[in-house]
Amino acid sequence: MTTRLLRRCLLYLALVLGAVVSVAPYLMTLNSSFKDTHRIFATQAWTPAVPPTFANFTQLWGKYQMSGFLLHTLLVAVVITVGQVTFCTFSAYAFARLKFPGRDLLFAVFIATMMVPQIVTLIPLFLVMSKLGLVDSYAALILPTVFGTPFGIFLVRQYLRTIPADLEAAARIDGAGTWTILWRIILPLSRPIMATLATVTFISSWNNLLWPLMVTDSERITVLTVGISALQGQFASQLNIVLTASALALLPLIAVFLTFQRHIVRSIALTGLK
Amino acid sequence: MRESIEAYLLIAPSLFGFVAFLLLPIIGVFVLSLFSWDLIGDPHFVGLANYRTLAGDHGAWNALDNTLYYVLLNIPAQTVLALLLAIALNRKLRGGKVFRVLFVLPWMAMPVALGIVWTWVFDPRNGVVNHLLALVGVAGPNWLTDKGWAMPVIASVNVWQYTGYTMLFLLAGLQAIPQTIYEAAEVDGVTGVQRFFRITLPLLRPSMLFVLVTNVIGSFQVFDTVYVMTQGGPGDSTTTMNFYIYQQAFQLFHAGYASALSIVLFVLILLVTACQFLYFRKRTVYDFS
Repeated sequence: MTTRLLRRCLLYLALVLGAVVSVAPYLMTLNSSFKDTHRIFATQAWTPAVPPTFANFTQLWGKYQMSGFLLHTLLVAVVITVGQVTFCTFSAYAFARLKFPGRDLLFAVFIATMMVPQIVTLIPLFLVMSKLGLVDSYAALILPTVFGTPFGIFLVRQYLRTIPADLEAAARIDGAGTWTILWRIILPLSRPIMATLATVTFISSWNNLLWPLMVTDSERITVLTVGISALQGQFASQLNIVLTASALALLPLIAVFLTFQRHIVRSIALTGLK
Repeated sequence: MRESIEAYLLIAPSLFGFVAFLLLPIIGVFVLSLFSWDLIGDPHFVGLANYRTLAGDHGAWNALDNTLYYVLLNIPAQTVLALLLAIALNRKLRGGKVFRVLFVLPWMAMPVALGIVWTWVFDPRNGVVNHLLALVGVAGPNWLTDKGWAMPVIASVNVWQYTGYTMLFLLAGLQAIPQTIYEAAEVDGVTGVQRFFRITLPLLRPSMLFVLVTNVIGSFQVFDTVYVMTQGGPGDSTTTMNFYIYQQAFQLFHAGYASALSIVLFVLILLVTACQFLYFRKRTVYDFS
């Protein structure tokens, strides 16, 4: 009995340690964003910022265009997310439920490209954008992923296949067309997977560095990742500024994730199984 | 007939995006690798010259070396930790769901911001790590400016970020193993360590394959943390393939050569992935569905 109790305690100790390691970098960064330069160097990362200062935030807003970075990033991420969820659901429904010539071949080609590393497409993509005269524009940031990605289509298709086909068959007998079925049956039933895809897409566009770094360079469209890495390059010694900027980049995603967390944890695991 | 037209209308937007921004660029990279292009003027044909340059380019081989080292630092640490966490959570525990969510939180963090936070955490004088080491009387090294330590520190960002995410898949895999198998094994007197190596691990292979394939592909493409934390340094000790390709294309304006380099990376990833599939296929014979 005592050995069982001891093992339980050790197990919990390991789990708590893991949880602390998972959360500590976030908390220390948030904590430091309320300290001035002097206190960041003079106190430990875990010493509470009491009393808090908001000077870092006002400086980031006034002097370092942080509001611009956030706004540009939000705009790009929202447009891409809306496009992804809409177009991936359309395609996924066609691939999962409709019969059309070339379907299986086309789906196989889509899936095969999931293995191609991103960097492979970026240099030719830059050529495409420069020929279209779109370098350094929102269009260049948004176009490559707004029409859906193979991963998104795959994710939604896997989910749609778990919805019984009888429902649709019954609706078709009652005279419902494809559009009605999509809007009235598929959409309400696939909310969990759409929430997952939306979150995953939002997170990856929010965090994307390489493509914006390549294709943009003017301040009017600088996104967070590019802006923050430039801050780090120029003001690395001003820890209070770069850490506060990092906190502002890290924390919104936690809010997004926690909102949809129930769906996501389940759906993510689903994609790995079959 | 009507169904086909509707289907094509539904996939039309994705198909357009796929062809224009994914398929054509993939074909384009092979074409571009035969050209010399400075990103501004028009590309001109040079045949296989880029590939000949590559064979004798010390920088390219070094980048390849560093990338493999990064993958080897990452994958075993991440997979073993994830497996331990998954096993711990695969039992009825008070607060199990809360732990699961907490472990996944690192997954969504912006690598650029993490790079900044890690640079601070591993700062030789003000960093948390060296402060903690000092408490036990150890003088910590100058992590990111030390050739031996820089890469492990960069890899630790990725391990921190993806362990919980990997754990999710392994946990799902563990939960799919029928309890009856364990009960039968118990009747036969199989317990403890033997049970883990003879039953759990073999039955976990499908999830393991998925996790390894996706994580290895991801690790081969490390860029953001290198860009923010070391810019490939000290020296060129953390210059990975993706970072080298970026340097060649966007700092030195050798976009044709960078295309050839990215094809090498692509082929390498394909080979490693194929090996993983072959290895696991030979050994996976179970199917519960």
